Amino acid sequence: MEAVEPQKYVLLALVAVLLPFCAFIRLLLAKNTSGSAFYAITGISLSFIISIFIFSNTWNEQFIHQQVDWFTIGGTTFRVGILINNLSVLMMVLVTGISLLVHVYSIAYMKKDPLIHRYWGYLGLFCAAMLLLVMADNLLVLYMAWELVGFSSYLLIGFWFTKDAASQAARKAFIMNRIGDIGFLIGLFILYTQFGTLDIQKLFGQDGLVLSATVHSDLWISSINQMPATWLTIAGIAFFMGAVAKSAQFPLHTWLPDAMEGPTSVSSLIHAATMVAAGVFLVARIFPLFNDTVLLVITITGLFTALMAATIALTQNDIKRILAFSTISQLGFMMLAMGIGAVDGGIFHLATHAFFKCLLFLAAGALIHALAHLKEKDDLDFDIQDIRNMGGLRTLMPVTFYTMLVASIALIGLPLTSGYLSKDAILIRAFEWAESKALIFTIVPYTALLVSWLTAFYISRLIFKVFFGKWRLQKGFKNIFTLHDSPAEMKYPMIILAVCCLFPLFSSNPLLFETSWILNGFHGTNSLQRVNAYHTIIPAAVNTISIMVMYICYRWYVKPGYSIANNNLLYRFSENQWYFNCIYDVLVVKPVNTFAKAIFWFERKVVDGLVNLTGRAGLLFSAISAWVDEYIIDAAVNNLALLAKKIGDFTRHFQTGRVQHYLVTMLLFVLTVFVLKYFSQLL
Amino acid sequence: MIPLAHFLIISAILFCIGLYAVLSKKNAIQVLIGIEFMLNAGILNFVAFSKYDRINSGGQVFALFAIVLAAASVAVALAIILNVYKKYNTIDPSKINELRD
Repeated sequence: MEAVEPQKYVLLALVAVLLPFCAFIRLLLAKNTSGSAFYAITGISLSFIISIFIFSNTWNEQFIHQQVDWFTIGGTTFRVGILINNLSVLMMVLVTGISLLVHVYSIAYMKKDPLIHRYWGYLGLFCAAMLLLVMADNLLVLYMAWELVGFSSYLLIGFWFTKDAASQAARKAFIMNRIGDIGFLIGLFILYTQFGTLDIQKLFGQDGLVLSATVHSDLWISSINQMPATWLTIAGIAFFMGAVAKSAQFPLHTWLPDAMEGPTSVSSLIHAATMVAAGVFLVARIFPLFNDTVLLVITITGLFTALMAATIALTQNDIKRILAFSTISQLGFMMLAMGIGAVDGGIFHLATHAFFKCLLFLAAGALIHALAHLKEKDDLDFDIQDIRNMGGLRTLMPVTFYTMLVASIALIGLPLTSGYLSKDAILIRAFEWAESKALIFTIVPYTALLVSWLTAFYISRLIFKVFFGKWRLQKGFKNIFTLHDSPAEMKYPMIILAVCCLFPLFSSNPLLFETSWILNGFHGTNSLQRVNAYHTIIPAAVNTISIMVMYICYRWYVKPGYSIANNNLLYRFSENQWYFNCIYDVLVVKPVNTFAKAIFWFERKVVDGLVNLTGRAGLLFSAISAWVDEYIIDAAVNNLALLAKKIGDFTRHFQTGRVQHYLVTMLLFVLTVFVLKYFSQLL
Repeated sequence: MIPLAHFLIISAILFCIGLYAVLSKKNAIQVLIGIEFMLNAGILNFVAFSKYDRINSGGQVFALFAIVLAAASVAVALAIILNVYKKYNTIDPSKINELRD
């Protein structure tokens, strides 16, 4: 590669980040809001083309890392820049590609919304933040992008902010993510203290600082600092906490189902394909930091989340909630892969999952869109997201049906799809991992197997309930109505995504994940040998049982006569989402509310009371001084004046102007003087 | 020979009559007459006390001067009264009160 080349790619990458951001800037500045869709889509399309270009030129090449000085504090200069390696280019293509399709889909889906220009602006901000996140070479910049992603997701979840549930959900998502962000920040502090830099390449590169730091007799020693070894674990857990919040893992998963209050296209882009992947991405980026303890925590969290979310998804009736829990479950799978050291498998599953989950959401959006039209046109009253109101729609909306079917099969992981490749990659790696550990750890791969069968069940249930059997809504409303399939802007993105859910995009051989180029692009080459029986047995076992599960599901939900008891303990446990919301309500929300009320009372009664008391004392004092002023000081002055006036009035009577009066007065004075003089002489 | 006290008593009576006229009369001419009474009471005293100065008769000489001066002052006073009458159309001193504030 020539010397000028890396700079070219870095500049192009910067342009790719800035283009969607321009759409957001335009929202802030422009008065004329028409045509915002055009700018947003042009921006993201160019970003996508640039990403493809960078991808095709740098995949499996030497990584590119360019930096400039950012700021200097004391003697430390912060350098920021762009890091282009396999992980970031893969994410770039994924983010821009999926965003582009969702943008196109949104043209039709959001057509009639009065605040549509905001929607495009927010999407632009989100895409820019996400691209910055994947390309940042510095954990501080990554953190900033991370926050931006959280913020734009808050804006988008609460896009229909007049709906109370939407604004509540937006707040919930934001607060949950905040909790994770604290962890991320603590992790940053620890890393900076230990290594004096936040540069990803310096920290986590081939011979980076993290790898060269050693743990020696309970001390974690780096080239510049040393601290107790527990801090290594704490740093790992702290970063993982950030990922837990972003990727909706237990125990911070409850925001994601609520986030379904946003527009479905947003759910598709953010809560299935990109933003939630940020947590997995972060774990992959800083993977060398994690020690065995943290990896075990990650494994267990991922496994538990996958199992929990899958069991919840079994009984939900809101189509978007089923998909939301499915997302949580699949993210759990990715985390599990990270925990067992299969970073490549996790990222591979992230990539394949992005496509089929995005498609599932878009298809769900198409259903909701069609039903909403019906509801509006005929002025009916029913829940447009409830799968109990659907059924038999495969003939009415064939494109939606077939695309969703492909995505579901990919999610289940049947052969010929992308999901088959990535899921088996994780499962097989899990079995290999357990083999090298104690017996108790075999619970991990078997639970993962169970989760994949549960996945087969819940997604089959969704498909069968929505597309097969009879349209249950027609029972309630007798008149015949028709549903139309989606407009072209929605149809084509779905078809493209459906094609991307199939194997050719990821691997030349539909049955062997070992040939996948994404897996080969990441380091773990030795594990890609078909070294043991797992590579044959597991896919066969998974798929056989999955198909059996699907058949059972078909018998239950499509054939009449099979009714399921839906009020036993387990059913309710699952339907109420393991009561996590209730537990959090009792453990966190209620105490916080009570505390807030107490503070409010304190504020009202004590602080305000003191202020009011001071105010009242001031009033009283001023009243007193006003009284003193009026009745003592003014009165003294006034009375003196009055006295002078009285004296004047009195004496003016003597000034009669008559000569004879003056004469009398004079005479009286003279007489008085004489009399006094006479008597004083006598005395 | 008439004793000195009688003259003094007559003089005092004259002075009091004059004083009364000056203070109480509603006619400036009468007031002027009252002044003349008081003046003449004084002159009578001068004449009466001149018995203690038989050689120079200072009292009697002073009395003559006083009579002359009184005649002059009456002339001036009458002129004033005439002018007052011209200006105010009255010579009642109680109605001429422009000295008041």
